[in-house]
Parts: sequence; C-alpha cells; structure tokens
Amino acid sequence: MGFAQAAEPWGIPHEKPVVLKGRVIEALCHLKGVCAPDCGAGKRQLGILEADGRFRLVGKGQVDFAGAAPDLAGFCGREVEADGLLIENPAITLFFAQGVREAGSTAPFTPTERFKTQWEARNSAAPEWWRADPESNAIIAETGPLGIKGLLPQPKP
Amino acid sequence: MLEAITPAKQAGACKTGGVDDDGHRFMTGLSKTRPSLAPWRPLRATIAAVLLAIGLAGPALAQDGARVTVTGEIADSWCTVSGLMFAKGSAHHQCAVWCALGGIPVAIRDAQGALYLVLRIGDDSDSVANPRIARLMAHEVSVDGELLERDGVKYLLVDKIADDKGVINLTHDEHGIQPFGN
Repeated sequence: MGFAQAAEPWGIPHEKPVVLKGRVIEALCHLKGVCAPDCGAGKRQLGILEADGRFRLVGKGQVDFAGAAPDLAGFCGREVEADGLLIENPAITLFFAQGVREAGSTAPFTPTERFKTQWEARNSAAPEWWRADPESNAIIAETGPLGIKGLLPQPKP
Repeated sequence: MLEAITPAKQAGACKTGGVDDDGHRFMTGLSKTRPSLAPWRPLRATIAAVLLAIGLAGPALAQDGARVTVTGEIADSWCTVSGLMFAKGSAHHQCAVWCALGGIPVAIRDAQGALYLVLRIGDDSDSVANPRIARLMAHEVSVDGELLERDGVKYLLVDKIADDKGVINLTHDEHGIQPFGN
C-alpha cells in the first residue's frame, strides 16, 4: 500500500488516499475457500489481497450508486494496482477504487466505470442509470419508494 | 487456524448478548473487550506471503467463523459509511435498492451501528446486484449464520432469515426520499 497521487478526496470520514497493490480475489473464496473459477463473473464481492496478507474489500467504483466488481472481475487472480480511498470506518473498512491497472504498468489508471458500460450494453444509455434500471423500477413499483406497499410520502406544502 | 473465531472468543466480544437454544449467539454490540489478535499478525503476514508466492492465497486462508444471530436493518454499506445522505429506514429504501442493484456491498446494521457484510444467503452466493437481496433493503431482519472477521470487516454468511419485519423504521417524514427527495 502506498500513498496515491491521483485519488480524489471526497471528504468522507476516515478516508485516506492510497494505491493498493495486490491480487484480485473474491471475498468468499478468500475467507471460506468457496471459489468460482472466474471470481463469480462480477456477481461476487471482490477485494485485493495485499502482500502482507491484508484483504481489502473493494466496495465502490466511480459510477454513482455502483460498485467496482465489473472493474476488478477481469483481473481475477492477477496482480493489480488500484488508486482510491481507503475508508477505515470503525463499523467497516471499505476501499473506494477510483482507478485500476495491471501491476507494474506505467499506463494511467483506468477509471472504474465499467458498471456503466455494461449497464448500457444491457439497456440503453441513460443520464441516470438508477432511474432507468428495469430491475430497480420493478422493485420500487412493487414496494413503493418507501419500501412499504401503498405508503407514499406526504405532498410538500 | 490462525484467526478462527471461536464462540469462546466471541463471547467476550460483545457488550451484551447471549446464546439461544440452538447455540446461536446473539450479537448486540461492537467489540471493545475482544482479546487482541495483534500478536498473530506478523506470523499471519509471513504465512500469507509464502502462500501468495506459491499461488494458494485464497482458499488456504479459509477459516471457520462463529455461529451468530444478527438483528438489524439491511443497509447499503456505501451510504452508511460515506455519510452523504441519511441512510436509514423508509427514507432510504429507494436509494438502497439502487445501490444494491449497482453492486454496492449490502450489510446488516445492528442497533449499535455495527455493519455485518452479507456474502451469502442460503445457497445463493451472488453478493453483487442480487435482486433477491435488493428486495430486502431497509427491512428489519434477524438472521442466523456464520460470522468471519477480517481486516476491519465483519463478513456474514447467512444460513437463514429467521425473521423479516419489513420496513419498520419510518424516517421519511423527517428525511423525505433519499437521496434527492424524489
């Protein structure tokens, strides 16, 4: 782990800009030995295993409301460098990856935006993927925006 | 096993708690009295480095966790730690659904604010953008499962959702609909 030059501070409590260096693995595989051959093809939470044995869960990418599994899945089992913010909240430690590249590469970090690319390939371009997402809209149509069927917020005066 | 979390160790980890008839321990607070694992860290790091070198880093460090019952609200971890919005209850249901389907790790937040990150429910190991989990966002639940702690994260492998009260934390009157009020 080293200090980053590029990570954008977000002003999040306990954040620290760092470049993580290590191997991409899935959390369930690392913890329990239950391993999918391709890290779960983006369907399992992933992290970076550093040389000193610390496992850093990567919980967020650059796309609003989205994680970084699509950005890391292609590196499954390989060494990477990830630029971002390590958030050591007492409740949980998460890494917000802002860019990733193959270990040892001198190329710029690739922004962690693959979620948007993949989402648009499945759907179509939208200014706010979350409001256009069919799955989200189906759930919210069923439960209501407050999560309680039939309950709607009071109109603003 | 270097960092196996035994029920005996965990028993000292909670401010309050207990053991039910099935042997599940109730988790009700963050550890402040847990025996330190610091003495193990140098050895663990050395072994990890060797395992990395021979390509066995993943499964080789597998551990058995503690059997626990966790009660709390299903929340998205990012909104909770970022503090960028009010991430609790009915006000946050919609936003939490978006985050869950966007692949943000989903956790159970207990009454003390501890986060238990859900990696599995039953036989379903899809922990990224899983619609089944997204439907539970902001619900108050009790789950039975296995707890494993590693490097600042409490990972939870849920065996069973013992109780699901739905959304009971009504926060929308005060906080509207997060994140943008619509």
